[in-house]
Amino acid sequence: MTRYITRRAAYCALSLLLLSLTIFFFVRVTGDPAALLVEPGASAADIAAIHHRFGLDQPLWVQYGLFMWSLAHGDLGQSFYYQTPVIDLYLSRLPNSLMLAGVAMVFSLLIGIPSGILAAVRVGRFWDSAGKVFALLGLSLPSFWVGLVLILLFSVYLHWLPSSGAGTPLHLIMPAFALGWYFAAAHMRLTRSSMLDVLGSEYIKLARLKGLPEALVITKHAFKNALIPVLTLAGINLVIMVNVAVVVETVFAWPGIGRLLYEGITFRDFPVVQGVVLLGGAMIVVVNLAIDILYAVIDPRIRLER
Amino acid sequence: MSAPADVITLPSPPSRAARRRAIRLGDIPIVPAAILIIIALVAIFADQLAPHDPEVGKLTARFKPPFWQSGGSTQYLLGTDQLGRDVLSRLIFGARVSMVVGIMAVIVAGVIGTALGILSGYLRGWVDQVIMRITDTWLALPALTFAIFLAAIVGPSMWNIVIILGVTYWTRYARVIRGEVLSLREREFVQLAVVAGCSKWTIMARHILPNVINSATVLGSLMLGVVIITEATLSFLGVGVPPPQPAWGLMLSDGKQGLMVGYWWLTVFPGCCIMLMVLSANLLGDWLRVKLDPQLRQL
Amino acid sequence: MSSGLISREPHPAGGISTFGRRDFLVATGLGLMAGAHTAVAASPDQLTWGVHVSLAPTWFEPAEASGIITPFMVFYALHDAMVKPMPDMALAPCLAESVKASEDGKSYEFVIREGAKFHNGDPVTSADVKFSFERYRGVAHGLLQERVAAVEALDARRVRFQLKEPWPDFLTFYATATGSGWVVPKAYIEKVGDDGFKKAPVGAGPYKFVSFTPGVELVLEAFDGYWRKKPAVKRLVFKVIPDESTRLAALKLGEIDVAYSVRGELAEQLRKTPGLELKPAVVQAPFCLYFPDQWDEKSPWHDVRVRKAASLAIDCKGINEALTLGYSEVTGNSIVPKGYDFYWQPPAPEYDPKKAKQLLAEAGLPRGFDAGTYFCDASYANIGESVVDNLLAAGIRCKLRPVERAAFIKEFGEKKYKNIIQAGPGAFGNAATRIEAHLVKGGVFSYGSYPDIDELYQQQAVELDRARREAILFKIQQLMVERAIYAPIWQLAFINGVGSRVGESSFGRIPLFPYTSPYEDITLKGT
Repeated sequence: MTRYITRRAAYCALSLLLLSLTIFFFVRVTGDPAALLVEPGASAADIAAIHHRFGLDQPLWVQYGLFMWSLAHGDLGQSFYYQTPVIDLYLSRLPNSLMLAGVAMVFSLLIGIPSGILAAVRVGRFWDSAGKVFALLGLSLPSFWVGLVLILLFSVYLHWLPSSGAGTPLHLIMPAFALGWYFAAAHMRLTRSSMLDVLGSEYIKLARLKGLPEALVITKHAFKNALIPVLTLAGINLVIMVNVAVVVETVFAWPGIGRLLYEGITFRDFPVVQGVVLLGGAMIVVVNLAIDILYAVIDPRIRLER
Repeated sequence: MSAPADVITLPSPPSRAARRRAIRLGDIPIVPAAILIIIALVAIFADQLAPHDPEVGKLTARFKPPFWQSGGSTQYLLGTDQLGRDVLSRLIFGARVSMVVGIMAVIVAGVIGTALGILSGYLRGWVDQVIMRITDTWLALPALTFAIFLAAIVGPSMWNIVIILGVTYWTRYARVIRGEVLSLREREFVQLAVVAGCSKWTIMARHILPNVINSATVLGSLMLGVVIITEATLSFLGVGVPPPQPAWGLMLSDGKQGLMVGYWWLTVFPGCCIMLMVLSANLLGDWLRVKLDPQLRQL
Repeated sequence: MSSGLISREPHPAGGISTFGRRDFLVATGLGLMAGAHTAVAASPDQLTWGVHVSLAPTWFEPAEASGIITPFMVFYALHDAMVKPMPDMALAPCLAESVKASEDGKSYEFVIREGAKFHNGDPVTSADVKFSFERYRGVAHGLLQERVAAVEALDARRVRFQLKEPWPDFLTFYATATGSGWVVPKAYIEKVGDDGFKKAPVGAGPYKFVSFTPGVELVLEAFDGYWRKKPAVKRLVFKVIPDESTRLAALKLGEIDVAYSVRGELAEQLRKTPGLELKPAVVQAPFCLYFPDQWDEKSPWHDVRVRKAASLAIDCKGINEALTLGYSEVTGNSIVPKGYDFYWQPPAPEYDPKKAKQLLAEAGLPRGFDAGTYFCDASYANIGESVVDNLLAAGIRCKLRPVERAAFIKEFGEKKYKNIIQAGPGAFGNAATRIEAHLVKGGVFSYGSYPDIDELYQQQAVELDRARREAILFKIQQLMVERAIYAPIWQLAFINGVGSRVGESSFGRIPLFPYTSPYEDITLKGT
């Protein structure tokens, strides 16, 4: 078991290392931040001064080495644009993103799980399809459009909710819905197939043979077991949501990680882009690792793969 | 390869033809399939169908509402946009862009992902490790971010977007296909081929590949929706298919200000088109998944 | 969020029944909504701005002024300058009480205003003025260092700038084109360092720094000791709202009081909404088309008739009406903004697509021609689309290529573009600086030049007599129009929205400045 864990952990570390290399070079290919910080036609000396200030005049491998060295000390560098440590920027925005993703996940499961169950249990053709279509609809509409329509409806026409920014729980509702609806379909699908699996299992057959009412069979026995893989997926998707929320964050002016990253790319703010991508990647990799380990604990066959 | 006469025939997986026969015509969900076919036809015959030039407009005819509203005219059935261009014509030509971008991106992603998935799953060893590590790394980078990145580097153009989307999404295929291949390679018909001395490449091409095509197709139909939505999102962020080319995502993004102002037709129509196309692709994909192999649950 | 939210078991035994849970949620929701409405309503002595760009700490630092106008949004609030553009005067003495140029034009003497103070109570002294000038490292600092021999603090309130040679544009550069005239406290900066200054800036402006959340919000508070007057509004909050539609929605809902940059149809709606006021501001960015191929004999652009045809094909008025509600100014001057020193007013540009086709035919292109690629900054792609449309109608076929802003500025300056470039330069200065950058050989954006224009430019650079200098600069601009080196579109209007709580918004009071200034004059309605 320990061998399995150490092996997987080593692979994770390798992935992250690769990621750091990739992002490091990628970001430098996008352009020169100095061009954005000085006026066009600035003298070469001015541009050189900026390069020097940001350490961009050194050979690439030296820059990479310095980057990794500071990383080892928990220092992600200083944002070119905001002149504050990247880690500060990230940590100040992370709670917002997590909160948004959390509530979005709640919406996602609220839509996905019931419709998945309905689809599996086939409670009359209409509700089965209706639930499925609603979940799929979320997958078929771009989140920025959903966001704008929500603002139009609930802020401008109905005055029920504030239009943008963060602050009160009310500010959370629309962006979280716009974000969560997209993932509902994935949860629906998994709930449906997981439910189908469980419903076909020996355990459920036994419950039916015992003469328990179907409703009780479904809700009490099948449902709980069917949920496990769904919640696992939800865990992974939560992390993905944090990284994918850039559009919703832009529309709703939500101060999250997604927008930080997008601005970083636009302003060619290398440390921000490197830091956010690495941290985001680390989150995903760690969550995946945790799930792999969990599965290995549950299913010994996996541990023994060649 | 035919088995020698004196050897007992071992069980083999149903041939593709047999599998296809199992899907009767009446089974196919009519509506989604019909929608996709209509969109494809519209895309092909756009030149004949569109009443106006989608890229040239008259500034005097800006923001005309659809013909059934006051101020609209039958000249511009679905209204005009901010430059006086006919919305209907742009929708029609936009079908072409959406179809091309969508299908090409899915094919690019599919080809790369399936190939790497097969290599990774069948060859195992260091090839597998390398490919899986690359996949992990790629996956750790969120697709949208990656797409924005690439667009910032190579600049947006329709074909660049196709490549960007293809390169962003191949990992989805690789993972799933690899999983399939891992179980496939233990099956008897593959063992038989190994024993019979077929080369690795023959096995991968002749035995493994035909059996993963199903998953790839299902995945493809599901990815079509994702790709189209991503294209729309890239346009919203300013790095998608560049104007004045009509693309539904771009129309949606251009018209979003109109939403605030009451020019609903600028976003509702392209939004509906996107929704119809993606929903149909998803429904079809779901149906395919169930039909072709109920085991494909992880999709 | 309790886990109960995701489980839907109607568990009769144990736990709250789902019905009770739902009740509780509804009650909380209503309560929150009620509370939220008061949270959303604005506090009485505060005004909120919805800003279209992400605020950066470098904008607290006049020493880093980079030649774009955006940081001045913050400078005018936090800081003050010796001399700066104000409503009644282009070069109004502010921190300086008076400015005197010497007879030979080689030195300028400033007297600092009595009672001018920094936010921390320290008086503004000549040491600070000298310090601010010498630490300046932004746009054109090289030029300043070249021309200025020394800065002398004659006593606590008098400063003399000694130039190496007479430089008639010195005040323009000191006061408007650079940030070197904006005074920062020497003692404070020496104590906390440059980084510390950006984290907690101290200046001499009407408002002092309270807090900054990067990319989200900037909060300022009135500085009662400001020399000009005590600001009427106690607190200013600048919120970053990058999406235009969201910004407008926030304005309509009263969540913000001022919204910057509302374009196109959103501006139209702004105009029609009761309680909201539309405030246009024409900025110092003349939009035009540049023809980098005109020096290439093999290119159709070499022929002046082709260039004139392109200019005639552009429906400036129509596009103006459509995109900026007619507020932009169609001046006809492609590179010098109206209002700049030595600006020459050309005859109004004509829109005549028939004549354009005629000219093309005369130039040997009766069926038009393939003009190649039309490069533009992606943020102004809407202008590009309209112009490409117009050109098409006249037979000039080209393909629009919007380029992301950062890449556009860089590649434009690196002379990478061909065919047609849509430019909208917004740099500070006067006609001479614009001509230098855009027309003269070696200029940042000049892809080629004409020897007679170069010659004239050299002449005016050393001409001390203002009238003669003006005549030369006018002649250069005239030649530019005659030779259609550029094709003018318009001078951009920046459209903003003001809500009903604002009394005096200070929009449009300083010519060519797109933001609300002077801040100390801003009032709430009813006060």
